[in-house]
Amino acid sequence: MSENIKLFDISKCTGCRGCQLACKQWNQLRAKQTRMRGTYQNPPDLQPNTYLIMRFQEVEDSKGLRWYYRHQACMHCSDAACVKVCPSGALYYSAFNTVGLSHEKCIACKECVSACPFDIPRFDERTDKIYKCDMCESRIANNLEPACVKACPTGALKWGDKDRLVKAAYKRAKELGDGAYVYGDKFVDGTHLVYVLQEKPGMYAALPKSPSVPLSIVLWKDVLKPLSILAAGGVLAGSFFHYIIHGPKTPDEDTSTKTEGGE
Amino acid sequence: MKKGLIQATDWYERTVHWLLAISCIVLCITGLGMMFHSFHFLGTIVGGLKMLKHIHNFTGLLFAVALFLAIKMWWHEAGVFSMPEDLEWMMCAGGYLWEVEKVPEVGKYNPGQKMFFLAVAGFGVIMVLTGVIMWFFPIEFPAWLVRWMYVLHALGFVVIFAFFFVHLYLGTIGSPGSLDAMTTGWVTRAWLKKQHPKWLKEMEEEGTLVVSGEEKKAH
Repeated sequence: MSENIKLFDISKCTGCRGCQLACKQWNQLRAKQTRMRGTYQNPPDLQPNTYLIMRFQEVEDSKGLRWYYRHQACMHCSDAACVKVCPSGALYYSAFNTVGLSHEKCIACKECVSACPFDIPRFDERTDKIYKCDMCESRIANNLEPACVKACPTGALKWGDKDRLVKAAYKRAKELGDGAYVYGDKFVDGTHLVYVLQEKPGMYAALPKSPSVPLSIVLWKDVLKPLSILAAGGVLAGSFFHYIIHGPKTPDEDTSTKTEGGE
Repeated sequence: MKKGLIQATDWYERTVHWLLAISCIVLCITGLGMMFHSFHFLGTIVGGLKMLKHIHNFTGLLFAVALFLAIKMWWHEAGVFSMPEDLEWMMCAGGYLWEVEKVPEVGKYNPGQKMFFLAVAGFGVIMVLTGVIMWFFPIEFPAWLVRWMYVLHALGFVVIFAFFFVHLYLGTIGSPGSLDAMTTGWVTRAWLKKQHPKWLKEMEEEGTLVVSGEEKKAH
């Protein structure tokens, strides 16, 4: 099966929030009452019932006042820290290489919350479950593009073959020039949401410069986890050989005084 | 009860030991069930992985209590090394691994037991602290800090789980007669002489030796 990705071209985004609404609609997520905070950003952050938001960010520097709109949702890493830590298999690699989430299996350990390098999963106290974008698995399984892509009126969002879109992304970045670049294909073995960005890495709020599976998680899952079984197995094997080669440490005296304890 | 046996432990010491031991074993098993996908059947047995999580968490509270009592009870006996004899004992591995002409005499706890106690006490405290953060504040605390809590929790498991099997072996077939100290609490004089000669002497000198079938008296 060909592998698809979602491409977000920031230069074509008008910040209409059509994607954000389409996501709510397809996933049947209710909105929460929010309050005016003096910014376009609404809701203020990802929530258990908001898998996708437009990030609005005002930046003022030597180039003057600029306004960024960034489509923020699960990046669907190929090497996903959340899948690595999830003890129950609730987070999994789908048939489309995206990161799926099965709520039936979620045990609310919240390990994925701290693991995610992009700070995506959100925990809902009420349902005791984790929520995040699943790239509209129910849609892509039926050869439909994700709801957000379907809704995008400007073509800032595209869904399609990975190789083709990554190539298109580099072409677009070159076209834009002035430091535009592709974000996502180079780390965590490639994300399934790829950006064409125009500002330097680190300028965008809530977007890490060079995300990776945290070292602590590699140490935990790839070193200590197998070591726990190896060490215990080694001790058991060592005990066995100690018993048959060196023998147990028995009291020296004659057996007449050696008794079993108890009545 | 057979005459001539010597009381090594009292009911309180054995109760605390088994409270700690059972809670620790339950934690290891439920923890394994969550850490390894191949052990998920352990969750199925109790009605799902989420129930396994609850059992793990609440057993952790019991473990914390048992650990506190154990540290309080054993700290002065098993938490401090007495030099230089403990070092000498360690240099010859207590005579467990190769032939040693004269193993330094040990008291109630040999340095190996002391190391096991210190490992369980030290890493046990780490397990409780990291566990509390993982249970109650996985979102409230900074993500990088929470991630290292899992690493420490896993490290504690590596150490305690491996040490557990050393303890199991040396408490049973690896050292016949030892198990009695934690079941009935009564051990043979021969066992004491072999395993804890200094302690036997101390008890004899202090007149604290309790021998079955004899009125308590100084030897």
